[in-house]
Amino acid sequence: MALRKRIWRIIKENKGRYIGIVILILLGSFYFIAATGISNNLEKMVVGFAEEHRQEDLTFSLDKPIEEIAALEGESGAQIEACRQYDAKVPNGELRLLSPGTEINIPAVTSGHILENPGDILLDPSFIKMHGLDIGGQIKLKGKTFNIVGTMAVPNYIYIIKNLYDVLPTRGFGIGIVSSADIEVFPGVVTVYAAYFKDRENINAQTIKLHGLLSEKGYSLSEWIDAKSNKRVSMPWANISSMKSMSLPVSMAFSLLSCLIVGVMIMRIVKSDGVVIGTLYAQGYRRRELIWHYLAIPILLSATGGIAGALLALPCVRPVVDSMLISYILPAKSISFSPLNLALAVLMPVAFIGLSSFLIMRKMLKKSAVELMKGDEQKAKVNFIERALRLDRFKFNTKFRIREQVRSIPRLLFLVLGVCAASMILLYGFTYNYSMDVVMEKGALARYLYPLEYNFKQVRNLHQDGGIPEGAEPYNAFRCYPKGRESVEFYLMGTEPNSVGFKMNDMRGSALSRDQVNISYPLSSRLKLKEGDTISVVTKLDGKSYSLKIDGIVEAYGEQFIYMSLDEFNRMTGQPPGSYRTVLSSHEIDFDKNLLAGVMDARNHEAYKDLARPTTVIVTSVTILAVLIAVIIIYLVTSLRIDESRNTISLLKILGYRRKELAKLILNSSMPAVFIGFWLGLPLMLVFGNNISDYVAEMINMVIPMIVSPLYVLISFVLIFLVYEITKLLCGRKLAKIFMSEALKAGTE
Amino acid sequence: MFVSVSNLTKSYNTGTITHVLKGVNLEMERGQIGVILGPSGSGKSTLMNIIGGVDRADSGRVEVDGECITDLNDNQLVEYRRNSVGFVFQFYNLVPNLTVAENIEVVSNISKNPLKTDEVLSAVGLSDKKNRFPRELSGGEQQRVSIARAIVKNPKLLLCDEPTGALDLDTSRGVLSLLQKVNAQFGTTILMITHNSAIAGMAHAVFRLRSGEVVEVAQNSKLIEAERIEW
Repeated sequence: MALRKRIWRIIKENKGRYIGIVILILLGSFYFIAATGISNNLEKMVVGFAEEHRQEDLTFSLDKPIEEIAALEGESGAQIEACRQYDAKVPNGELRLLSPGTEINIPAVTSGHILENPGDILLDPSFIKMHGLDIGGQIKLKGKTFNIVGTMAVPNYIYIIKNLYDVLPTRGFGIGIVSSADIEVFPGVVTVYAAYFKDRENINAQTIKLHGLLSEKGYSLSEWIDAKSNKRVSMPWANISSMKSMSLPVSMAFSLLSCLIVGVMIMRIVKSDGVVIGTLYAQGYRRRELIWHYLAIPILLSATGGIAGALLALPCVRPVVDSMLISYILPAKSISFSPLNLALAVLMPVAFIGLSSFLIMRKMLKKSAVELMKGDEQKAKVNFIERALRLDRFKFNTKFRIREQVRSIPRLLFLVLGVCAASMILLYGFTYNYSMDVVMEKGALARYLYPLEYNFKQVRNLHQDGGIPEGAEPYNAFRCYPKGRESVEFYLMGTEPNSVGFKMNDMRGSALSRDQVNISYPLSSRLKLKEGDTISVVTKLDGKSYSLKIDGIVEAYGEQFIYMSLDEFNRMTGQPPGSYRTVLSSHEIDFDKNLLAGVMDARNHEAYKDLARPTTVIVTSVTILAVLIAVIIIYLVTSLRIDESRNTISLLKILGYRRKELAKLILNSSMPAVFIGFWLGLPLMLVFGNNISDYVAEMINMVIPMIVSPLYVLISFVLIFLVYEITKLLCGRKLAKIFMSEALKAGTE
Repeated sequence: MFVSVSNLTKSYNTGTITHVLKGVNLEMERGQIGVILGPSGSGKSTLMNIIGGVDRADSGRVEVDGECITDLNDNQLVEYRRNSVGFVFQFYNLVPNLTVAENIEVVSNISKNPLKTDEVLSAVGLSDKKNRFPRELSGGEQQRVSIARAIVKNPKLLLCDEPTGALDLDTSRGVLSLLQKVNAQFGTTILMITHNSAIAGMAHAVFRLRSGEVVEVAQNSKLIEAERIEW
């Protein structure tokens, strides 16, 4: 059909605008494929590995071996496997040898081959790299030589930390798997148990039951930790959840935004083509044919953007997944994409944009050929806002700019919403980053005035151990959750009334009494608790519940704690007076290492910054994305306005307006809309950010409060206005290309 | 002479070269009303665009109040249009989303010594419609706004391109008599182009243009009042 040629011509006439639309759609589908690809592949690697290799639900140590494992398994409904463990010193480090799990925590060989002969050893790849070893080489441990036959990953050591309560990996530390027979040659091999519940529901209740059974049978428990609290297992979940929470809403927002702009564009094209449409109508073209003709443009644009975005996203997923998993040991898996998501990335924009364009066109084509040929569609109608505005007291330039803005409500709406969306994304990226920094700097680490925390495997007693040294203080803690909300986990801590190890100030900065029940601010806001309220807490260890009246709220960032006095804690939980599990210290104390479950050293804050590496990746990509969106949207709207004001611009040139005056009048008129869009973005970002934060908190029990930094708000503001200025420069050239002859030839008002 | 055009030529290349003006000569005194008459394609719009500083000639010379327009560069032409010339178009060319008063302010905004908007509105008889939008006015009223916009800067020369081309007889008479009134009240020199020879009756000087050449120049000593023009 001859009309088909027009499609290319229409697109060619306004290349910049259509390229902008395609990029907007492309960004949407790119983001969708990249975000779902990253989160799905992360999930596949982490969850898939956990499921296929039977990741433990619980790990614990006992004072003596379990005699009747089969009977206990029957009673508890759990599969229980003993793992033998031995820590061997190596030059510049330590290697933890583990016996291979056969039912739980089954190792996956990631290179080389499985253990075949006595003396074979599998090592974790980071240990091999760190110590300059090779597969096929040998390693000497306590005088015994092992042949390195490969590398492996184990589900209970995805994030390799030496002690359960360590936060950062110990330099030079790694793990190795040797046969059960080989590990027994070492003296002092210990047993660590892993449990896996057959019923995959109500893990908490089953954990409590198992704890009760073991206690009943007279075992003394230590290092009892469930998978959710075990950093070796749970660390990668934060990355998966944050990616998941970002992927769908953001890509949907993109699609809707593209839909709005393309809809506005199509409406403009069809309106300006009203006379042509009317003529074609009169010549005998059917409505359906004309609809298809004009529908070809949005479908072409959305399909091109959708396909290009998806294709560009495919190769980007692997490097991002790798960078996010750099601290974790997982078997390498090929990156795969869901065909449904690939189809959605292309079909979603086509469907959204096609439908909105179709509706607009159908409405337009309901008019008769005569009505269309009269060209009424091209004549500017005055909308109710324009009619209602009384601008007499303003200077002409101000009046002109206001009228330019309110001339088209959809166009104005698109600009405000577009800038708002770009500002939201930009502000969210910066705020998330800043919040992480604040949590890092003002959160747990900064509140510790005593930077060393020694966690013991078993509860100790001040009256039996001869006390603790000067400059150190004890505390006791239980992992708890509020009754009815198992997803909210926190520590209930008993501290001494004269504790100075960490700050405990109220929201105004005044010191709180430690003889009362204080709750950290993030936890109180998550549970919507205030002073005077009562909370019922359940301990994860034994399922006992306690009722606590909140006396104070502690200023805190991200931390979830309830504090009370140590004596009251011990009395309430039925422990002997003086019981403690942890020692907080201002200096290093030479405790027997075998008694310790972990040491947290907060002296070097820099060391913790690596933990935020995935955040940096997200923030950088989000910033680039936001700037791109802002450029495209402001450019599209400005160029649309220039096109729609061609006659006016041409007329102003005839009337003697200088180039700068014209640029000021036409291009500067969007300034208030950009300004409003940006400031609208700030509260919306907070609402959106807090919702994501709540969602992530529910999934991974980690509170990242949205803390707005005035500096970052200013940077975002400057960035958005810089984008606006750049766009003005781009559009200034467009302005220069409008000739005076256009107004002279104008045949209408 | 207030307006002096000598040997003006202009051609366009649209695949083939079209000579639109072929050595046009024209002179007008200050305060006169001049009419350029000619059929479509005779080059009258091109001539007026060059006199108005909107278009450039290939050769020849145009002087307005002693200033040689054809020697001016682009920036100087902007200043010339801004300070010296007023335009009235056949289809009014009003800015549709500005009110009547604001359409007039489009020009007064950049003029050195503009007349007061209310004064001009009163002169064109539209004081009561200053807050209306162009779409809410009749064709004649829109043309009045266009005239008000042109005269608010108190131009030396008012150029009117078929000012009654889109209007009926009665409305046309009203517009023409307004132009006569402007000429009398403000002493504005007016150059009008039209294909309607009946309008020639109200002009001091009449120039007939045919195929890019002035074929007849007539001075009119007995002016007809616009209200009495018939066609």
